[in-house]
Amino acid sequence: MRKHLLALGATLALSPLMAQKIGVINSMSGPEAPIGESITNGIKLAEEDLVKKGIHVQLVWEDDTGKPQISMSAMEKLATRDNVVGVVGPYTSACSNAVSKLAQKYRVPLLIPAAAKEEITRQGFKYVFRMNAPADRYASSLIDASLTLGKPKTIAFIYENTDFGTSTSKTAKDYVATKGIQVVADEPYPKGSADYRSTLAKIKSKNPDLVFMVSYVADAILLMRQSREVGLQPQAFLGGGAGFTTSEFAREHAISEDVISCTQWTDDVNWPGAKDFGKRYKAKFGKDATYHAACAYESMMIMAECAAKGGGNRDKTQTLLKAGQWNGIMGPVQFADYEGFTNQNNHPMLVQQIQGGTYETIFPKAFATKKAVYPFPRWK
Amino acid sequence: MAVFLQSLISGILIGGVYALIGIGLTLIFGVMRVINFGHGDILMVGMYLTYILFTFAGIDPFVSVLISFPLMFLFGGFLQKVFINRVLNAVAQNQILLTIGLGLIMSNTVMLIFTSDYKIITTSYSSSTIQVGGGVSVSWPLLVSFLITAVITAVLYWFLLKTDTGQAIRATAQDREAAQLMGINVKRMSIIAFGLGSALAGTAGALISPTYYIFPQVGSVFTLKAFVITVLGGMGSVVGATLGGVLIGITESMSAAYISSGWKDVVVFVLFLLVLLLKPSGLMGKSRT
Repeated sequence: MRKHLLALGATLALSPLMAQKIGVINSMSGPEAPIGESITNGIKLAEEDLVKKGIHVQLVWEDDTGKPQISMSAMEKLATRDNVVGVVGPYTSACSNAVSKLAQKYRVPLLIPAAAKEEITRQGFKYVFRMNAPADRYASSLIDASLTLGKPKTIAFIYENTDFGTSTSKTAKDYVATKGIQVVADEPYPKGSADYRSTLAKIKSKNPDLVFMVSYVADAILLMRQSREVGLQPQAFLGGGAGFTTSEFAREHAISEDVISCTQWTDDVNWPGAKDFGKRYKAKFGKDATYHAACAYESMMIMAECAAKGGGNRDKTQTLLKAGQWNGIMGPVQFADYEGFTNQNNHPMLVQQIQGGTYETIFPKAFATKKAVYPFPRWK
Repeated sequence: MAVFLQSLISGILIGGVYALIGIGLTLIFGVMRVINFGHGDILMVGMYLTYILFTFAGIDPFVSVLISFPLMFLFGGFLQKVFINRVLNAVAQNQILLTIGLGLIMSNTVMLIFTSDYKIITTSYSSSTIQVGGGVSVSWPLLVSFLITAVITAVLYWFLLKTDTGQAIRATAQDREAAQLMGINVKRMSIIAFGLGSALAGTAGALISPTYYIFPQVGSVFTLKAFVITVLGGMGSVVGATLGGVLIGITESMSAAYISSGWKDVVVFVLFLLVLLLKPSGLMGKSRT
């Protein structure tokens, strides 16, 4: 009995030591906080499931408020002071891009859950991994879907002039060039503007078949509202991720219905555990799970598993991440080197359309749940 | 032509609301010589007030101005009496730190209560328009907010020019010590001025709410804008702030249409620098050394 107690005591005393220290950098406050919250929630669910799997992690949370410089100092702290085995995060492309250089410098495995800028995994950094599909997939999946649905000849771009917006639309422009679609307007805008009417009126005067928008949550709603105001009437509104894939956006029936967007994940896709994750998320947090949550969840699961297997050694963890293969709520995951990418998960994008206030998968055919509405109905 | 008219009309309408924000800031500066770095956050409080009234009491954002104006006046008066009055004679850095601090407290308190989620007020008219012909449309809520702004500005002019209190405020703004010697209660005038400034910012917040979005950090966007407007028009000049607001609105709108929306801030700031180079005290400012 005494021996048992001693053993128990020793295990209890040692367990914090055996717990793997993993850093999380996320935009928990600041303008990106609504999406940051999804990432936080996803990681919290992962933490629960890891305990069930017998993997103990001690998470060190850092808030970067969406600013690259704060993100970088958070990474410095995690790498040198907290001595974490690996880091999951940050959220935005600008922060991830900044932090990736430090991850390589300090040789800390960094798993980026949901930042879209392609260059992040194109720098040849061995210690930088990415879960989500990069920005070029956003664009190509949307364009492919609209080419299947109709015969668009012209396209107009309006996007936030941040890393995410610029890189997503740049790849989209390159992609439509190969498909013979003509770009008739190219409008970057600074985020937080109150008035896009003049820009939208200019786009309207070009009468494009497709309007491609890249924005975060609030601007997405504003852009669609003002599109309706000025009477912009293309064959399809294409929303490049982020703001167009949130439940807040879907709730704005009058302006969000029939908008086509693409996403990394939906809760009706047939990847193992996806449906269950959606249900548990909703029950625990009272909101629908977004792709950010799913990406963050899977990233934390994989990072923790590798950290535990590698015994807390950064280099071993890096090797395990590189060599591993998983099949979870994000579908098959493998960090591969292809098309100039390093450690990039070649993740398939899903194209969805808001129908009756909910997101329905319309493309690719293998995952489609509903038939697409095309062309975009006339504004009422 | 349609693009030109559309841009001009949107620019003027949005400029009216900018003017309201600028007038509040300039009024506070004129009377107190304190630069209020928390101005945008006061506007944000006004937005949340509108949001609360709309969501929980079902009061239309435009009607809620009748409630939020006096409430924001009291709030501003309170800030002045409890905090700002104490630093009126302190060095400028301390005043700046105080107003920045107050702004931070406001935005973080709101974040604690409402989280940092974006709130959108969706009214039946949020995206309704009036067609004025030639493919040009005018946003209905923006037009209403412009009209309300115009009325408020007119009443404010009348108040400052014709009433005793208004004249006392202007006297305080012209020379604080002389005004005090003439028997004007300058502390009280300061409270009224800060209250009015806050009420105007809060009203601007209420007026933008139906067409914009609300989040705790929204203030910083408008603080910067308010500064540009105020300095452009001349620090302390109400007419200047009105002019500056409309000018910035039109410039933003026109440069978005004819150059690129990514460049509109650059155009605004180039214009701003030009005005400062040619007329350092601002469009309507009197140098006061």
